[in-house]
Amino acid sequence: MSYAYLFKYIIIGDTGVGKSCLLLQFTDKRFQPVHDLTIGVEFGARMITIDSKQIKLQIWDTAGQEAFRSITRSYYRGAAGALLVYDITRRETFNHLTTWLDDARQHSNSNMVIMLIGNKSDLESRREVKKEEGEAFAREHGLVFMETSAKTAANVEEAFINTAKEIYEKIQEGVFDINNEANGIKIGPQHSPTNPSLPGAGGSGGSQGSGCC
Amino acid sequence: MEYFRSGLKTVLGAPTPGTQPTGPETVERLVSRVSTSTLLEDRRDACRALKALSKKYRLEVGAQGMDVLRQVLELDCADCEIIGYCLDTLCNITSNEIFEEEGETNINMNVNVGEQFTEMFLKNEKNVAVVLGFLEEYDFRVRWPAVKLLTSLLANKPKEIQDIILVSPMGVSKLMDLLLENREIIRNDALLLLINLTKSNANIQKIVAFENAFDRLFDVIKDEGYTDGGIVVEDCLLLMLNLLKNNTSNINFFKEGSYIQKMSPMFLLPDNIEEIGWSPQKASNMHCVLQLVRTLVSPNNPVQIITACQKTMRNTNLLEALCGILMASGVPADILTETINTVGEVIRGNLTNQEYFANVTAPSNPPRPAIVVLLMSMVNEKQPFQLRCAVLYCFECFLFKNEIGQEQVVQTLLPSAAGATTLTTGQLLCSGIFSADPLSNWFSAVALSHTLLENPAQKEQLLRVLLATNLGAQPVSLLHQCAVYLQHTSKLQSKIGMLMLLAMWMSHCPPAVKIFLTVPGAMAFLTAQTSASEYDNNEELLQGLCAFIMGLCVAFNDNSEKNYSKENLSQLIEKRVSIETYCKKLGEISRHEVYAKAAKQPQIKAKHSSELLLEFEFCKLFKALEGVIIQALGVQRDLSNGLSELSLSEHENALLIQYKELIRDQDKKLHDLQKEIHTMKRENKSLEAQIDELSQTNSQLNDHNTLLKAQLSTGANITSNEPVAAAAPLLAAAPDQGLLDKVNRLESELLEKNEELERLRGDQDNLLTLLTDQDTKLCCFKSKLRELGETIEDSDGNSGESDNES
Repeated sequence: MSYAYLFKYIIIGDTGVGKSCLLLQFTDKRFQPVHDLTIGVEFGARMITIDSKQIKLQIWDTAGQEAFRSITRSYYRGAAGALLVYDITRRETFNHLTTWLDDARQHSNSNMVIMLIGNKSDLESRREVKKEEGEAFAREHGLVFMETSAKTAANVEEAFINTAKEIYEKIQEGVFDINNEANGIKIGPQHSPTNPSLPGAGGSGGSQGSGCC
Repeated sequence: MEYFRSGLKTVLGAPTPGTQPTGPETVERLVSRVSTSTLLEDRRDACRALKALSKKYRLEVGAQGMDVLRQVLELDCADCEIIGYCLDTLCNITSNEIFEEEGETNINMNVNVGEQFTEMFLKNEKNVAVVLGFLEEYDFRVRWPAVKLLTSLLANKPKEIQDIILVSPMGVSKLMDLLLENREIIRNDALLLLINLTKSNANIQKIVAFENAFDRLFDVIKDEGYTDGGIVVEDCLLLMLNLLKNNTSNINFFKEGSYIQKMSPMFLLPDNIEEIGWSPQKASNMHCVLQLVRTLVSPNNPVQIITACQKTMRNTNLLEALCGILMASGVPADILTETINTVGEVIRGNLTNQEYFANVTAPSNPPRPAIVVLLMSMVNEKQPFQLRCAVLYCFECFLFKNEIGQEQVVQTLLPSAAGATTLTTGQLLCSGIFSADPLSNWFSAVALSHTLLENPAQKEQLLRVLLATNLGAQPVSLLHQCAVYLQHTSKLQSKIGMLMLLAMWMSHCPPAVKIFLTVPGAMAFLTAQTSASEYDNNEELLQGLCAFIMGLCVAFNDNSEKNYSKENLSQLIEKRVSIETYCKKLGEISRHEVYAKAAKQPQIKAKHSSELLLEFEFCKLFKALEGVIIQALGVQRDLSNGLSELSLSEHENALLIQYKELIRDQDKKLHDLQKEIHTMKRENKSLEAQIDELSQTNSQLNDHNTLLKAQLSTGANITSNEPVAAAAPLLAAAPDQGLLDKVNRLESELLEKNEELERLRGDQDNLLTLLTDQDTKLCCFKSKLRELGETIEDSDGNSGESDNES
């Protein structure tokens, strides 16, 4: 399937906050309660539609464990978007956000869009981090914020799509150099830069993303 | 300083007779000059000299100069020239190749010099980071030796370098940027470096892929002219292979990134390929591309990945292009072989692709299906061995999870199949099974066994196949012929092929077991093989297989052959072979090295034809059924209560058999009777049900009757003629036996009563007459008494009157 743009994402955050589950919910629309620890990095992809353009998301789901931190760093530079995830039922995962953010800011290109995600919103009874705290952190560091549940799929689509929208807007504003692949953005094979307003290749033209091809 | 410098020059350069410095001495002086000299030019000159000596006096330069050289890398990093010499020197001393120059001096030296110096250099991890940093220097004199040094270090200590690069910030990125280098030698060397760096390290493979490796590599391939390009194309393909092999995440990325589509141009053969021929490089490139395809659809990958890639390969016409190469002429045999393997894996287990393949025709005259043409090569002794193996694998892939395909092949063997003039797959396989070439026997038997894989219907269909062995002789079944051939052929390979076919056929198929048991000599052959105590040259495998077939005869026996019932056969095994020996023979199969080799992957891999003995699917079957057979034998043994007939005398044995016969008879009778009782009980039950039903209707009718009677009586009370008249036909119409009976009974009663009444009336008349007589007599006596003078009361007269009145 052809696409107008291709965005590279990475998902980062402490181990066990639900990064792999978020990806699985987004690409396969299913939830796997017991998930093995991610070793290194795993890949997933899906097509979405923004502004009636087909956009391919390539997502690298990283391992949260400290041992893999240096491997994870290799992925910052080439990513256009990052989902920084914490677990609302475990305060320490929220406390570590600054470390993650410093790491990301240090190794990524300055335009990378970072979306802060408080996951496991379905576990309201065990909540340790208030939604307001997440919002405040995001405001302070200039991030977009959302609470999601990989289990119930609440806000999962939105998290990925809103990040894409943000990147898309930055492209429209000319902030991103789309010809530099190191930014994690690629122009589709049939969409030359001289004619960027070409609509995506018909197919499933719904506003919702179609399954990955 | 200038004086000092010239002084040194005299020391080093002036050939003073008698005191010519030896090599090691020169190295020592040079090293001290690099470390002590404050002038950059001095250090540069010394480094240049060290570089020149680093091949011949490798040991000395390395041992004394390592630290100094490392210092230079840090302190003089601004000067490209000295850094270049420095890197070159390090490259030479850590190289794992032996230089011609050092041959004379270090002849006794250990070959591991390079590795030891690498180890020394790696002691400080910062060193590698420094070298990685030099990759960013554009100057050719720095960048190129930096690449070479890393290559050299990597060759000696791959694991260590991989780990260091993985954790050094942007390490992989820096290397990836080299692929964009327009100085080809650097780009090409970087390519080689990346090939070695990505070997068996999934994390590096993923980062390299993330850093747009596939895009860059395809760009290079395109620039170099696809498969017509030089060795660089091959290197690009090798790197891709490294990135994808056993790396599901990267395969997924490759598929999602639409890179399969980008492979298509590499399969296009120019129209004049026959004239221009295949250069060795083109063949190598093609080989790599085919490997690439196979890596994506390898049977070892997760199923959903395989299926998705297969689908994409069909939709992007990659499968079509592959089939084109398959049918093109002038393709070198090794490329053709690999193409056949590749086509096999692209269609394996994918019905749509299998159907597509079934419809490919060869441009022959008359046009024949590609499958037929391939099978013709398989049973042709003159074809290369590897090609024949590939055809079998491809055919197996075609049949894998393809019930339609399996049926079609078997169909061509059945008598009803029309069109005897065209060559069919079935005919080819049949002629191959019984041909004089043992390899053809083996190939064909295995191929045929795959038409039966997990397909009980075809096992039974194939039983219907009849062969005309000799002119005029009775046709025999295929299975029969296989069992006969098994006994007659002297070739081990043929026997094993035949046994694997029989095993596949007879497993879970009692009718096939039954036919096998009736083949004369078949059981005797198996028994003899299984009980044989000596063997040579892979014969233990044959014996194991015979034991396996024997076991199948027990496990899948429906007892329809009296002489070879489950029980008799297990007795046979116990008596003639003994369970211990039997289990040992059975175990020979899985213990054999051929088994381990064959069970590894579906593809048939053998260097030499004599290595072809066991096959993948057979190994799977054996693994699944070994336990079943041993259990079946155990059950039979338990049934005979551990009473071995061997321990009994002949007489007792006869008696036992007699009793057994008796018990069997009784058992049968008992069974029959039980059956009878059962049917009777059922009949009884149905009859009872009928009676119930009838009585129920009866009572209903009775009720009805009473109702009608009541109606009738009410109708009579009205005393109108019309309702009675109306009721009369209703009564008549009701065929009520009970009612009629009652009426009859009442009528007869009435008659009786009337008669009685009549009689009583007659009696009364008589009595009245008698009374009158008595009265008259009484009157007479009264008058007589009056005459005689007696007074008589009148009352009598009154009473007489009253009597008269009544």
